[in-house]
Amino acid sequence: MTIQAWMMFALVLFCIGLYGVLARRNLIGILIGIELMLNAASVNVLAVNYHVANDPAVGRIIVLFIIGLAAAEAAIALSIILAVYRQRTSIDVANLEELKG
Amino acid sequence: MNHSLIALVCVASPLIAFVVALVGFRRRHGIAAGIVLTSGVASLVAAAALLLTAHPEAQAFTSRWFVIGDVSIEFGVLLDGRTLIMGAVVALVTLCIQIYSLSYMADDPGRGRFFAFLALFEWSMLSFVFSANLLQTFIFWELIGLSSFLLIGFWYEKPSAVAAAKKAFIMTRIGDVGLFIGLILLFRATGTLDVMEIGRIFEPQGQPSSIPPGQIELIALMLFIGVIGKSAQFPLHTWLPDAMEGPTPVSALLHSATMVAAGIFLVARFHELFLDAPTTMRVMLGIATFTALLAATMAMVAKDMKRVLAYSSISQLGFMLIGLSAGSLFAGYFHLTTHAFFKALLFLCAGAYIHGCGTNDMIAMGRAGVARMRITTIGLVVGGAALAGIPPLAGFFSKEQIIGTLDGSGLFYTIIRIGVYAAAFLTAYYSFRMIFLITRPNADSLAVEDEPAHAQHAGSDHSAGHDPAEPWVMCGPIILLTLGAIGVGFLGGRIAALLGIEHAHAPTLAEMAPAVGIALLGVALAWFEFGRTGARQAGFVASFPPVQTLFEKRWYIDEFYQRVFVRPVVWFAKLCYGTETRALDGAADKLARGVVRAGGETARRHIGRLQLYIGAAVASVAVLVFYLAME
Amino acid sequence: MIAAGLVMVLTIAGAIIGVGARRIVHAIFGLGISLAGVALAFGLLRSPFVAAMEVLIYIGGITVAMVFAVMLSSGGRNEPGEGLLRRTLAAGAALLFLVSVGLVISGTEFGPMPEAVDEAWSVQQIGRDLLNRFNVVFELLSVVLLLAIVGAITIAGRGDESLDPAAADEGWA
Repeated sequence: MTIQAWMMFALVLFCIGLYGVLARRNLIGILIGIELMLNAASVNVLAVNYHVANDPAVGRIIVLFIIGLAAAEAAIALSIILAVYRQRTSIDVANLEELKG
Repeated sequence: MNHSLIALVCVASPLIAFVVALVGFRRRHGIAAGIVLTSGVASLVAAAALLLTAHPEAQAFTSRWFVIGDVSIEFGVLLDGRTLIMGAVVALVTLCIQIYSLSYMADDPGRGRFFAFLALFEWSMLSFVFSANLLQTFIFWELIGLSSFLLIGFWYEKPSAVAAAKKAFIMTRIGDVGLFIGLILLFRATGTLDVMEIGRIFEPQGQPSSIPPGQIELIALMLFIGVIGKSAQFPLHTWLPDAMEGPTPVSALLHSATMVAAGIFLVARFHELFLDAPTTMRVMLGIATFTALLAATMAMVAKDMKRVLAYSSISQLGFMLIGLSAGSLFAGYFHLTTHAFFKALLFLCAGAYIHGCGTNDMIAMGRAGVARMRITTIGLVVGGAALAGIPPLAGFFSKEQIIGTLDGSGLFYTIIRIGVYAAAFLTAYYSFRMIFLITRPNADSLAVEDEPAHAQHAGSDHSAGHDPAEPWVMCGPIILLTLGAIGVGFLGGRIAALLGIEHAHAPTLAEMAPAVGIALLGVALAWFEFGRTGARQAGFVASFPPVQTLFEKRWYIDEFYQRVFVRPVVWFAKLCYGTETRALDGAADKLARGVVRAGGETARRHIGRLQLYIGAAVASVAVLVFYLAME
Repeated sequence: MIAAGLVMVLTIAGAIIGVGARRIVHAIFGLGISLAGVALAFGLLRSPFVAAMEVLIYIGGITVAMVFAVMLSSGGRNEPGEGLLRRTLAAGAALLFLVSVGLVISGTEFGPMPEAVDEAWSVQQIGRDLLNRFNVVFELLSVVLLLAIVGAITIAGRGDESLDPAAADEGWA
């Protein structure tokens, strides 16, 4: 596979994730979209690492960091979702629009 | 002690006194006055020591301030005949006035500040006089303007004083622009800022070949514009009479030896340059003669004693310029020196009278019996006679010199000579008019009091019946200056020697005769109209009411300036103010209000739809990327 | 080549389920498929260690945590679906991005592939780099993770109404 193909694949994955972030009303759905976007980024990094970079270890370490940060982010996001649910018994973003000017 | 150290003492002590008095003792008036007086004495002693031990050669002591390219800017003192005489005169007159002010300003709540300003003024003036560098000259020229502004406007709660201070500052500032341009041109032409060096360039006979003659004329003309402003020559003379709003010692200081003399001194300082600009010198001669005559006519009809003296100052400054621009450094410089003594003396006398009887009106003064203030009256008579040019007083010798220099032929010089004689005649006439109005009051005469005695001076508590007091602190300076007004005239030879000129023009009896005759004629006319028993005490101009009105209204020059310059400027300023407040501020306010309202509206619609915002952001980035991809 | 194509199809299909499924549990299932595909892709890109981590952390950790979150909340049963307008707009923005960036990618010339490095399999190399070159980042990441754990417990363990930190302390103490 060429690098272009891998990058296009990553792009498609990213855009699907983006669609999820933009379209979903469920907070968990949005979180799913974000995870997909992060994975797309990881794929992109590894593709470049595989095809272009001289030092393959660096790209892998970057991806490991991405995965670690994604885990942290997911933990926080899920706890926020739980807290929001407790307060409102709903995880619909439409109910969270509170910045009334 | 060497000369550089003495010069430093002379120049620096007023500065130290100013800082200490203003910062430390503004409210403790006695201490402030003491400090300033001490510095005045120190300056005078130093200046006198420098003068008496003067080297025949010019000396310059400078220290480098900074260097730009090839030009080094230096501060320092230049000691030659011109600066030494002027420095000594300035220090002496300033000290007299400081002593005098002890009594004159005794009741003023702000006299600590007053003395501090006097010291500031003395520092500026001495530094200007001793300046060795064009930049230093300009800086202290401006500082003189600033400190005279502060002194004229000393009674800042009086609106007329504030207006007068502003007028003096702005009018002289018009001249300063010319001076600044002139100094820059001079620097460009000669490539040096050193005053001595410039003197050396222009010293040899004939014009220096390195500078085109037109440029020399231009430089001289520009410098002369500065002189017009500072020395109150026509057409920028109108600030000087108004400057009488300041305390009388200030008038005595500014209009005798110092501020107004700065302009004359500048011409004397660069006299070599002016000599190489014959056309400008003719213009100067014309303007100076016209000014001398014009101011003399105003002095003829004024009733306010200080105003008479102010007009007389303008007129005498004209005389000095006549002497200088006729080509004689000695004549103009000599008159500058003698004038410093007798004019300061006359102002101090006026101050004593005003202090004693509480009015500026000469007629009211005379009727209030101020002539009984003996020492002051003696001073007045001597000073007035010196001003009139009666031998053997100081004014006679110097005016003699000036008239003697006007030996050119042709129509121009004939007109100038006639003008100068007329001005000399009027000078004698108005000075004796002043003397007679005060010493020979006549309650039955036609003279009308504009302002009765005790009208203005709150500090005077004497009733008309008592002899007005003559405090010794006031008398001391008056006596000193009286002696000066008598004696300085005989020092002409010494002054000429110091200036490096052989006493070229020793007037013969035949030459003296017309000048003395004219002066005596003026005195006689004044006696006939004002002095003799049963005189009408109304001048001959009173027979021509339009002429009298013209003179009293100062030839309508102020009126003219008011109409032509001040009013349009004020109108334009008001227009700008209106534009600023209504149009611009209004527009800005409207804009601000509009932004606030728009923000409020937008904020009401922004309720935290994160997804919409993300979508918009992503779409925008996408469009941008698309555009870049298409490039 | 074929394997790569299959992996891509699998991943994208899982992703489409992940964002499209009406029920949230189905969506998480789709996410799991997609993540497994990404892990396979990592394997194809000669990074089996990263692939293993992907499986462990994502599929084993995050997806499971999401399931727990769904179980603890309403499970998505009470949530209304998305409107057509919303979907269209989101799809439009995503498509716009896809087209633009796709144009950039297709228009870019990449350099030639470098020599394949032998130690591509080397986990030791990754470990050495993590503790040497990237030590600071590594330690920082551990701090971030620690904070995330503490923060997550604080936020989620808090009582229903109480918002002040003191109550939060009691909540997870």
